[in-house]
This record gives sequence, C-alpha cells and structure tokens, in this order.
Amino acid sequence: MKKLIIIPAYNESECIERTIKDIQKCAQGFDYVIINDCSTDHTKEICEKNGFHLINLPINLGIGGAVQTGYRYAYENGYDIAVQFDGDGQHDAAFLIQMADTLQKEKADMLIGSRFIEKEGFQSSFIRRVGIVYFTRLIKLLTGTTITDPTSGLRMINRSVIKIFANDYPKDYPEPESVVAVLKNKKIVKEMPVVMRERQGGTSSIGSLKSIYYMIKVTLAILVESLRRYR
Amino acid sequence: MSLRLQIILLVILFCILIGIVIQIKHRKLDLKYTLSWFVLIVALIILTCFPKLLIVIADFLGITTPINMIFFCGFCFSLVIIYTLTVAISKMSDNIRSLTQKIALLEKGEKNHE
Repeated sequence: MKKLIIIPAYNESECIERTIKDIQKCAQGFDYVIINDCSTDHTKEICEKNGFHLINLPINLGIGGAVQTGYRYAYENGYDIAVQFDGDGQHDAAFLIQMADTLQKEKADMLIGSRFIEKEGFQSSFIRRVGIVYFTRLIKLLTGTTITDPTSGLRMINRSVIKIFANDYPKDYPEPESVVAVLKNKKIVKEMPVVMRERQGGTSSIGSLKSIYYMIKVTLAILVESLRRYR
Repeated sequence: MSLRLQIILLVILFCILIGIVIQIKHRKLDLKYTLSWFVLIVALIILTCFPKLLIVIADFLGITTPINMIFFCGFCFSLVIIYTLTVAISKMSDNIRSLTQKIALLEKGEKNHE
C-alpha cells in the first residue's frame, strides 16, 4: 500500500521545515512530496538545503493547479492513497495514520478531516464559520450528503478519486467544489474529527476583500458541478 | 418600456444565461472568466424587471433619456470585460514565455548530460 502526502507550498519558508519534520516523525509509511508553487521567498532553497522531496512549478498555478500536480504525481507513480496536507502548520501529522486506517475500514473513497465534529482546536473566525455552514447546507441540498467541513484542506483519497482529480481539479478555491464532484461521481465521502492549529506562518489564500468574490464563485461552481452528469 | 419589450428582453437574457451555464457545464468556458458576464446579465435582468430604477439612476446621473443610459452602461461594462480579458491575455503570454524558456533550458541541460 503506497501512501503519499501532498504538500502545496506557496511562500511557506517559515513553516515548511517544521511541517516536514513533523511528517517524518509522526507519519511512518507515508511518502511525501512538496509542490513549490513558484514561491517568491526562500521556500525552494530551504527544501533543497534539507534534501526534501520537491517539485518546483515554473509558473504560479494557484492552489488548485499545485495540488493537482501532486495528484498527477500520485497517479503516475501508482500510489493507492494520497492526502493533501497544508504546509503552513495548520494540520497535525499525528492524524495521518489514523486517517488511512479509517479510510480503509470505512471503505470510503474520500476522507475529510473535519474541525467541526468534536469542535476541538482552532475553530476559525466567526465569519468563516458562517460561510462554512452555508456551504454545508448548500452541499446537503444538492447532493443529500452532510459534509461538516467542506473547506478543510486535510483530505485523504483512494486511487479511484486520485484518477478523477488527476484529470480534473478546480483552479482556485477548489475544496468545496471538488467534494461535490466526488459525490456526483457516486463515491463515498466520510469525515473524521481532527484538531487543527492556527496557521503558524504565511497568509491565507483568502483575504477579507476577496471573501465576497469567494462566496459567489464557489456557490456558482458548486451549482454548475451539481448540474454535471457522470456515469 | 412596454410589457412586450420587457418580456422579449427577459426571454433573451435568460437564453443567454442558460447558454453560458451549459458552456461552463461542458467545460468549454472557465467559470472565473465568465463571472463578469453573469454580473452583466443579472444587472440587465434587474433593470428590465424594474424599469423605474433605470429612470431614477438616469435622473441621478443627469442623463435625460433613460435609453441612453442603457447604452452608456453597456458600453462601460463592455470596456470592463475587455479590460479583464486584456489582463488575462497578458498574464497568459507571460506564462507561455517562461514555460517555453524553462523547456528550452531543460532540453539544453539534457543534451549537456549526454
């Protein structure tokens, strides 16, 4: 069973070392790959100095394109399980082994690490929680499945979903939209409670000014996605 | 605006809207670049449903004939859409250039190895 951790990194020089050390300590049996999305800081130099496994993108593709690069790598190298893991220190590598067990035990195709099942750890700001509840309701309405944390970046998928994502993955703000695509492909999506930390460095890809654009764009994307037909 | 014109306009606008959604559905259009079209169509639908709004805005801007305001707004909006396209194209040509250079450098590197 080959398992890959995909770490998209854009200007994560403050945290990337700690993140990889954390993975090497807590997630035995996993391979990892950092996707450096054309960072403008020293992310690349730090990774090379430490000899980390690294894929450098020659141009900035945004979070969606970076993560998809990882899924393609996973698909082409025959990985059975891939998990997206943020490079900014929000995610705790201690959950990864448990997640892989749960994915196999529950026979799920996708397992999302949710902050809102046991409501422990960093719970995000009030405004963001309102947005997340809105997406949960919208996805429930369109697919009939409750996803408590559709914006979570900690998601583990099996080979059948790796294939879907390697072929087609949204460009920006991909999380909620891609969950809907997986559900529409009649795959089983489960959630598992995890504890997340506040980001330890870098800035969120979603600024306060962009949040309205984010809500509209993701809503439309989810609506269009739910119109698509899959066999 | 007569009721007949209003209905004709609404039918046309909804046809365009559905056309765009179908194009996105079949992945021929990217949602990101069609958002401005959505905004334009929704604005036009609102103005068609409430033509009084048009008169109020025209009055506020000091435009005597409301229909002129439609033309003016349409013109301004087209400019915005064209501008966003220009920005997107500039970024793309930049990206293609750096990708081409990267591939050329990689090929050169491989030849040096041989």
